[in-house]
Amino acid sequence: MYSFIRYLATTSRTAIHQLALAAGLISASAFLSNAHAADVLKIGYIYPSPAGDVGWAHELDRGRQAIEEAFGDKVESMVVENIPEGPDAARIMNQFAAQGAKMIMLGSFGYMNDGLKLAKRYPDIKIIHASGYKLADNMGNFQTRNYESAYIAGIAAGFVTNSNTVGMVAAYPIPEVVGIINAFTLGAQEVNPEITMKVVWLNSWFDPSKAQESARSLIAQQSDVIFSIYQDTPSVVTVAEEEGVYVVNTSSDMKKYAPNHLLASMQISWADHFIEQTQKVLDGTFKGTAFWGGMADGAVSVESLSTDLSAEQMQTINEKVEAISAGTFHPFTGPVVDQDGKVMIKDGDVLPDGDLLGINWLVKGVETRLPK
Amino acid sequence: MLDLLVFVLAGTLAAATPLIFAAMGELVVEKSGVLNLSIEGMMATGAATGFVMAKVSGSAIVGFASAALASALLSLVFALLTVGFLANQVAAGLAVGILGLGVSVLIGKNYEGTTISPIEKIDLGALSELPLLGKVIFAQDPMVYVSIASVIAITYLLKRTKLGLIIRAVGESPDAANSIGYPVVLVRTCAIMFGGAMAGIGGAHLTLSYTPLWAEGLVAGRGWIVVALVVFGTWQAPRIAIGAYLFGAVSLIELFVQGQGFAIPSQLMSAMPYIITIVVLAIISRNPRVVRLNHPASLGIPYLRNE
Repeated sequence: MYSFIRYLATTSRTAIHQLALAAGLISASAFLSNAHAADVLKIGYIYPSPAGDVGWAHELDRGRQAIEEAFGDKVESMVVENIPEGPDAARIMNQFAAQGAKMIMLGSFGYMNDGLKLAKRYPDIKIIHASGYKLADNMGNFQTRNYESAYIAGIAAGFVTNSNTVGMVAAYPIPEVVGIINAFTLGAQEVNPEITMKVVWLNSWFDPSKAQESARSLIAQQSDVIFSIYQDTPSVVTVAEEEGVYVVNTSSDMKKYAPNHLLASMQISWADHFIEQTQKVLDGTFKGTAFWGGMADGAVSVESLSTDLSAEQMQTINEKVEAISAGTFHPFTGPVVDQDGKVMIKDGDVLPDGDLLGINWLVKGVETRLPK
Repeated sequence: MLDLLVFVLAGTLAAATPLIFAAMGELVVEKSGVLNLSIEGMMATGAATGFVMAKVSGSAIVGFASAALASALLSLVFALLTVGFLANQVAAGLAVGILGLGVSVLIGKNYEGTTISPIEKIDLGALSELPLLGKVIFAQDPMVYVSIASVIAITYLLKRTKLGLIIRAVGESPDAANSIGYPVVLVRTCAIMFGGAMAGIGGAHLTLSYTPLWAEGLVAGRGWIVVALVVFGTWQAPRIAIGAYLFGAVSLIELFVQGQGFAIPSQLMSAMPYIITIVVLAIISRNPRVVRLNHPASLGIPYLRNE
């Protein structure tokens, strides 16, 4: 789902990407000329954005590095980054195929249909695809249960806030983001029932300046914890550090950008899943599956929890992490009511995965309404 | 409440600064009769160059200077196409703009997603400590004041100096300017390079002060706002500045209103800065005589010298 965001982000930045493509192609041709022994598994990786210091493509690239560490000489990587969805992506995929790649990682939602075509044309190429929903025998997909880590980060926010106000900076109200906001709020309310959430919707997939101003406006409105949702840059995090309020961010650990005021980072990690899938390709047992990884799978975690949290508070947090990892606790366990007080999850019920994937209501405690 | 007022007012000055730099440059370019649509790309190039150079050298001045230089060089490409080879200015502007976005990605490649410590805000001691006014007026970064000075300087240049008259003459009627001995090609080329340098400085203000980090696509459409501001401000520096501050203020108020949880669709709120800026500028510029007077008559028309 997250890469669906990336998908939209890229379409809105197509012009930039098409230019950057030139750079991508240069690096592509550089590695494509490297022919190696036939028994090496060549793996092609396509990222929708540059693999910077933090963010979505950075995490995909960490997955690639994990594969290389685990398999050493048995694998060879071919990476092309900053590729917009569409004909360019399809061309790179076909180039990978022509160069003998037997496994391809597609890093964005919008590569799905081209990936599926490729999968049908080359049954011997195994494909793993970020957050799509179409499967084939030789094409699987993967996404993360970020609501689990959001719940834990929410507990931490509930502990540290003095003003009982959390400000959130988010791009668009898609289900993935709504789910994260809800889980975060429920977590915060578990330890601090008085807490309320303010949300600023950027209505833009990429505008670091606007994200920073949003954070400043939320701080001016008494928020003393800021939640930066899917900002691929440290924009919001640096403002929080500068203004001296706590900050939680998604995707990557941003501790180094806010050494004093980072409350928690909702880390995603593809390493285990990537290694498992690569092993299956090497063993010849690969079969396309839909992977929705949570804490139990090591796909999401909460990192860099602030040392300002007391030992007692850390204990509460760790217990919840264990309960979620063990499957004995689900963040969306009833009773949960929406903003209008309507019961959305009955006492004791758990929200089914299907509903969670399409969630379009906010829980009580979030002040801002969903834009309709 | 005071916090909020400070947030909006102080933020407005900072938010409008990149727009004002680039718009003052574009104003001079358009007054010389050239429509340069590549502002977005030149701001991006300046933003990336300024960031990288400031990071490497540790000096913001070096950052701003190299940003101005890089964007001026890029605009030289545009000048070569439009003034040299008489290419269509719209097409050439779009092409150079896209080139600039690509160049910015290339320059910033190794710095993607990294941060920098922003340039220091001035500290006038007790003056900066004043409630409200202190934070808003006396504790901005130096470039904010430079941008305000540039509005005054450009107004003076265009209205009161001989150089300004020459630039305007070239923009109104290059043939007439040429016949009385002014070098049209040189004037236009210099104007374009000045516009490029100013756009570069505006871009560098984004990455060195306003949003002290580099990320691809950071300019996020501000270059296009600049082009619109110059036209809707009817080619008059003070009106363009008003437009820029209005745009900055409304975009900040929008964020505040959203946080307050009013039941206004956020999409409408996000469109507000554009709507209000255009409506207000259209109203203050509704006099067709003023528009006709200030619109450079030869804007966008390639000039071929009659030998």
